[in-house]
Amino acid sequence: METVNDQQEQHSNTIGVTNLRLKFPGERSLLFKDLSFEAKDSEKVLFLGPSGCGKSTLLQVLSGLIPNSIEVPTRQDTIQLPKSYGFVFQDPDTQFCMPYVDEELAFVLENLQVPREQMDERMDDVLKRVGLDVPPHSRIDDLSQGMKQRLALASVLLLDPDVIFLDEPSALLDPEGTDQIWDSVKEVSEDKTVIIVEHKIDHIADWVDRVILFDDSGHIIADETPEVIFEQYQSEITEYGIWHPNVWEHYTASESFKAMMKNRQSSTVDLVKDTDRIVHLQQFKGFYGKKEKIHVEEASIYPNSWLTIIGDNGAGKSTLLLALMRLIQASGNYTIHGKAVSLDKKDKTPPKELSFVFQNPELQFIENTVKDEVAFSLQIQGLSTKKVEEEAEHLLNAFRLYVDHEHHPYQLSIGQKRRLSVATAFAHHSDILLLDEPTFGQDAKSTYEMLEQLEELRQQGTTIVMVTHDMNIVEHFATDVWTVQQGKLLNGKDTPDEKCETKVGTHHESI
Amino acid sequence: MWLKNKKGRIDLKGLRFTDLLITIMVGIVFGVIMKFWDDLYSVIKPIMPVARQLLYGMWFMVGPFAMLLIRKPGVAIIASLAGASLSAFIGHGFEVLLYGLVQGLGAELIFASFRYKRFGIFVAGFAGVASCFAGFFLDLFYGYAALEAWALFVKYGLRVISSFIFTGIFAYYIVRALEATGVTNSIRPVSKEDYESLN
Amino acid sequence: MNLFDLFTPHKKTWLYKVNPAVKFVLFFALFMIVFFNQHYQFTMNIMIMSALLLFLFSGYRLKRLLLFSIPIVISIFSTAVTMILFGKGETIWWQWGIIKISEESFYKGLLLGFKSASFGFLGLVFLLTSRPVMLFYALMQQLKLPAKFAYSFMAALRLVPIIIDELQARSNAFKVRGVTFSKGIKGIFERLRLYMLPIFAQSIRRAQRLAIAMEAKRFQIGADRTYYYPTTYQPIDGVFALLLISLSLGAYFLS
Repeated sequence: METVNDQQEQHSNTIGVTNLRLKFPGERSLLFKDLSFEAKDSEKVLFLGPSGCGKSTLLQVLSGLIPNSIEVPTRQDTIQLPKSYGFVFQDPDTQFCMPYVDEELAFVLENLQVPREQMDERMDDVLKRVGLDVPPHSRIDDLSQGMKQRLALASVLLLDPDVIFLDEPSALLDPEGTDQIWDSVKEVSEDKTVIIVEHKIDHIADWVDRVILFDDSGHIIADETPEVIFEQYQSEITEYGIWHPNVWEHYTASESFKAMMKNRQSSTVDLVKDTDRIVHLQQFKGFYGKKEKIHVEEASIYPNSWLTIIGDNGAGKSTLLLALMRLIQASGNYTIHGKAVSLDKKDKTPPKELSFVFQNPELQFIENTVKDEVAFSLQIQGLSTKKVEEEAEHLLNAFRLYVDHEHHPYQLSIGQKRRLSVATAFAHHSDILLLDEPTFGQDAKSTYEMLEQLEELRQQGTTIVMVTHDMNIVEHFATDVWTVQQGKLLNGKDTPDEKCETKVGTHHESI
Repeated sequence: MWLKNKKGRIDLKGLRFTDLLITIMVGIVFGVIMKFWDDLYSVIKPIMPVARQLLYGMWFMVGPFAMLLIRKPGVAIIASLAGASLSAFIGHGFEVLLYGLVQGLGAELIFASFRYKRFGIFVAGFAGVASCFAGFFLDLFYGYAALEAWALFVKYGLRVISSFIFTGIFAYYIVRALEATGVTNSIRPVSKEDYESLN
Repeated sequence: MNLFDLFTPHKKTWLYKVNPAVKFVLFFALFMIVFFNQHYQFTMNIMIMSALLLFLFSGYRLKRLLLFSIPIVISIFSTAVTMILFGKGETIWWQWGIIKISEESFYKGLLLGFKSASFGFLGLVFLLTSRPVMLFYALMQQLKLPAKFAYSFMAALRLVPIIIDELQARSNAFKVRGVTFSKGIKGIFERLRLYMLPIFAQSIRRAQRLAIAMEAKRFQIGADRTYYYPTTYQPIDGVFALLLISLSLGAYFLS
């Protein structure tokens, strides 16, 4: 393997690569073919493009992680690596190797061979700079996801980098965490080159100096100031599913959204009667071991509604879904269509009126091809082989899974995996579909596709119950809202909601 | 670093850090799965001695499985020791460390004797059987093997069969299933063809 | 659950202050001696000694220690019984069909039971009085364990709770999707395959990301490093070594 360092100039703070070629082992085609890129000293650059176009890979090449840490065949005419760099990755849970904040920061200092006497001071300094106000010997697992990303940034600062690479650092964060990480980034990086890959650009759209736009096949199609990009490449940005500041505004003004909502008004059945409710809960409690984790005084789920469950992290939203599915121990009164659901400890069969979509689709896939995955749900209902075949094809198309149906489910994109997991749950033809944050971490395009899909199912008669953090979804799609706080359902009304009238603009204070 | 000589073969220069961490991870995941397996096994243990021996192959699976998955020298022994360390960590005592090391060594030797080029059912199965023999060797000292001849034969005979089933057949097909997910592409040695296709 | 603080003692006894690497080496050496030894009496003495260490010096409340000891006591019987009933031997005490208790098999059975309990108690004393992170720091500094092993192990250990959550979620997913398994060996394969596939796919990707993140933080195989927790040899290590050696010698001469 050729080393790349001999072509590196040590004096300039410019980084870049010319005529990069790169191919992942086992892939048929090159990811990059003769790509060139350069960033000047303390420039702030944003990479935008569709998922899978290679933006993150390019960051790893520019930092030297490829091929030094990850063996990927690459070749280029010249490459200029940064003298010193830091890297913040997407997933807050796979960046740390030690259990405590101080030990994790110490790991970096040890790597740099900083003497023990200087460690404490430097840790305190970087924690202060990123605004992470916790005692150094705090457990990392106890931090929120946003705080973890700040910790990752603090580690980066210990490296005293000229260049900071940020690979979707806010993709898996809630709105509060997103604020936290970008505030910290701006605070610390004034004199540094910053190269960012991100889909959620609210906080950085006017902060960066340059935006590089990629297409599906890893080519750079534009390299301009943000003003020019956001003015001239509107359609690409929408197509790539970028969460730009006006994305909901544009979406709700779109023809497809208006048509859908018009449909919704005409199809919505007038106020349903109390007795029509599907699920009724009274003094319903869910337990982990012997600990009570969720308590519902009284609540009902009505046919054809789109119920969103909101609340802070760890408040008990997902626990409520698990309890409804009978996957954890529960007590109290739980009826479906007026019939009592057994809450017996021994019998943990999920109610057949309910289907569940897990947050991580891979954990619920069980077959080796996309088609079999859907077919499985149909087969266990006792359908004939021919019927299964037809129905599976139909469902895959209905869920816009236009991929080779013999593909392995794991090889789909994240958006496709999520849609497939909804398809398999829907294939049970249950009355209610429960979903645990089905749009979490997805780009705007996949999010809207998912929401439209769910709305379609709802209009055809399926009731939707979903956990979400996104208040825009609550505002534009929900017909009912439950708020869970510290293990209690606050507003589980016993009567049907007054539909959409009261909703717009009133739910923001509930978080 | 993995260096390639002119014939495109891999010289044994040790594992990259990524390889090492993945290997240890595989071992540790196995350790966790074996913890759950142990719970199942303890139920069967006293009542069905034959079934118990037939399920014993699970304990030999980690090394061969890791090797089939990652295909780099040293992986079987490291994964086996990592799995054992996890078991030791959650309270299984020091002996698992020794068994993990020696059993991993047994499996590693088989793959090494095929120069890390053959990863089929039989090589994997033999690696499991070698693990089983390595374990038997320790049992001799521990004292487990001082049984009546027939009992010895039944116990270890069933174990050999079981180790072949678990490592040769089960591990092989589970790794094949993992290959279909695409996850192995990024962890196995990069071929010369992959480099050539850059041109 | 947090594997790094699985066990928190009631009070930190002097056993905590012993360098974990010293403790590890001495315990492992003792373990090896017991492992290869074939005298049941000596093994029994070691078992008693280990139990004493556990109950007197681990700093845990008696109730918890008794709870921890239950599986160890059970293991004495479960390992001993098979050997007593099926072990080889000449001096037969009792025979019924293929079951045969001989003098030799009886003592061999006791030996096995005591060994298993000794290992259990020794392991427990070690686990209950050593923080994993400190053990690895000591292993790196006193025993020159390469940092790449220490840190990959600690890093992987950090992800264990996620693996357990995923196994739980997977088992839930089978219920939700209505998966049923075949009986017998085929069912075992189906279970293994369906559990292992997503867990390994996810863990491998996670390990890969973690390794890259660690290298991005300038971790380098073979590079020199400083230590946040400097560990050294202390007088207490010598006291501990002396105590353990004299106890072991005592166990030997009393047998």
